[in-house]
Amino acid sequence: MRSTFVLVRRHLQHHWLRSGLTMAALALAMFLLCFVISIVTTLEAAITSAATTRLVVQSAVSLFVNLPISYVTKIVQVSGVDEVTVFQWFGGYFREDEQPFAQFGVDHGHFFSMYAKDLRIIAGPGGLTGPGASEAAIAAMAADRRAAVIGTRLAQEYGWNIGDTVPLTAKIFTKTDRSAWDFNVVGIYEPLKSNVDDRTMWFRFDYLQETMIAEGAPADFGAGAYMVNILPEADPSTVAAAIDRLFENGPQRTKTTTEAAFQAIFVAMLGNVPAFMASLGGAIVFAVMFSVVNTMLMAARQRRGETGILKALGFTDAAVMRLLLVESFVLCLTGGGAGIALAKGIEGPMRDAMGAALPGFAVAWSTLGIAAGVTLLLGLIAGIGPAIGLGRLHPALALRSEG
Amino acid sequence: MSALIDLVGVTKRYSRGAETLTVLDALQFHVEAKDFVALMGPSGSGKSTILNIVGGLDRPDAGRVEVAGSDLQALSSSELARWRSRHVGFVFQSFNLVPVLTALENVMLPLLLTPLDAKKRREQAAFALDVVGLADRMHHRPRQLSGGQEQRVAIARAIATDPDIVLADEPTGDLDRESATAIMDLLGRLNTELGKTFVVVTHDPMVGERAKRTLRLDKGVLREAGRGSTASVRGPG
Repeated sequence: MRSTFVLVRRHLQHHWLRSGLTMAALALAMFLLCFVISIVTTLEAAITSAATTRLVVQSAVSLFVNLPISYVTKIVQVSGVDEVTVFQWFGGYFREDEQPFAQFGVDHGHFFSMYAKDLRIIAGPGGLTGPGASEAAIAAMAADRRAAVIGTRLAQEYGWNIGDTVPLTAKIFTKTDRSAWDFNVVGIYEPLKSNVDDRTMWFRFDYLQETMIAEGAPADFGAGAYMVNILPEADPSTVAAAIDRLFENGPQRTKTTTEAAFQAIFVAMLGNVPAFMASLGGAIVFAVMFSVVNTMLMAARQRRGETGILKALGFTDAAVMRLLLVESFVLCLTGGGAGIALAKGIEGPMRDAMGAALPGFAVAWSTLGIAAGVTLLLGLIAGIGPAIGLGRLHPALALRSEG
Repeated sequence: MSALIDLVGVTKRYSRGAETLTVLDALQFHVEAKDFVALMGPSGSGKSTILNIVGGLDRPDAGRVEVAGSDLQALSSSELARWRSRHVGFVFQSFNLVPVLTALENVMLPLLLTPLDAKKRREQAAFALDVVGLADRMHHRPRQLSGGQEQRVAIARAIATDPDIVLADEPTGDLDRESATAIMDLLGRLNTELGKTFVVVTHDPMVGERAKRTLRLDKGVLREAGRGSTASVRGPG
């Protein structure tokens, strides 16, 4: 087998440009395939890892219509509800040319306990790290209206630390004097789930609310959504229906869903991403398949004379077929393998590049498995036809062939 | 004792469109062990067809082919391939070396089909190259060798597995006179010293002169053309 492999290797080396280009095409194709599959699996992971025991209450009209702040006190009284926090998108930016990050105004008194399974504060005031950091950061948040907790990568990217003031320019909540909003960093969190972004800033909603009211907003300045944790024994659909019934007559009707369903709606807003990605992946595989098949057909055509020699020496039809098939597999596995390795190798930088658009971007092992399977299949498809052709070649005819 | 090569009543036809061409018709051809037979005749007379049938590369349409004690007609395609690897070595006009392999690796190719381990294969291939006088060229690729040297590598490959028979199709056809003479010297030496049986197809009168027997094939008829032993040749009619 090893000796046969020498012949395969020599052929690939002899036609190094053709082999190299085909391998490069395969590497690119498998990298892209891993990438498009990973987009779909990351989106699906965001849905599956979202809590089913957490409800999202939003306006029945649109996510962009605010709900009155007075709803919180009513929601918390619904049977089965454990805790409630406001959840308001801020939409500010630090420097316009920087990659944007998300900021949310939350009820600091409830948010961090509600999301204890999703994120963990790992650094707090006074240089505190570890278990004490969370308590200290929440206490600091309670004491400072401008306090904010930021993600680990946000801290790393901008070099922000505890005690720093971060000025953000608002696009939605602009002040009359156009001045920036200042936030004081009191804590740094790390995500505990793949669907939680590590580039988000959580700050006190009442800072936003009070400032906007002072700037002339209505006194019942509300929030875009309320997140509701339900008790373990409560049925999510029953609680959701109870909340919606509560506001059936307004002033704003609500639409309550589980967080998982809410994530699914977001994914659906992007269109049928899995179908689109599947088409894209299929097109990539087909395009590279033609290239590999062409390469192997050329190899087989050039190998007719040599096949005659091998058969004259006593190589069986099956042995000759095996040689070309092995060459096809080596070509595909080397090229495809490089692409697959690259996809996994630069997973981190890809996740960074995706940012908040696709938090938790990951190239799963199952994705690598699929790409490896496709690579093997390509090797088989590209090699089997030409191999059968050479296997069937009459030795006396093959010896008369050129090349 | 039967002949090493025994072709009895061998007929071979080729179809070209609607036309059927009978190249060999009830041919008798017998070669004893350690013989050196030259097959001569005009182009298209069927010399190479005889060689292909004897070497198990082609099958006749009728007749019996018994070579080295095996009835080749009774063997399947894969059995025939294995039989070739044990009993026959081929030498071709255009050398037919694998261009991507070195001389040593080319000679090792037929040894891959033997139960020898890698070390033994290497040793045996090196020995074969030494026999043909190319021990100092074993790591050269075919394109780095002269025509005569390439043919000597091909001869080394043909004898590497120690076959009973070496079949050579125009072995001097692509060589200059000096190289052709050297190749014939080598083949003669392998015949007399190692006892290999040679059947050589040629147009070259010099090759015919050096053979123990020369047979001429013309219009399907195989005739004894010169010196030699038992002429057992009969063509049609």
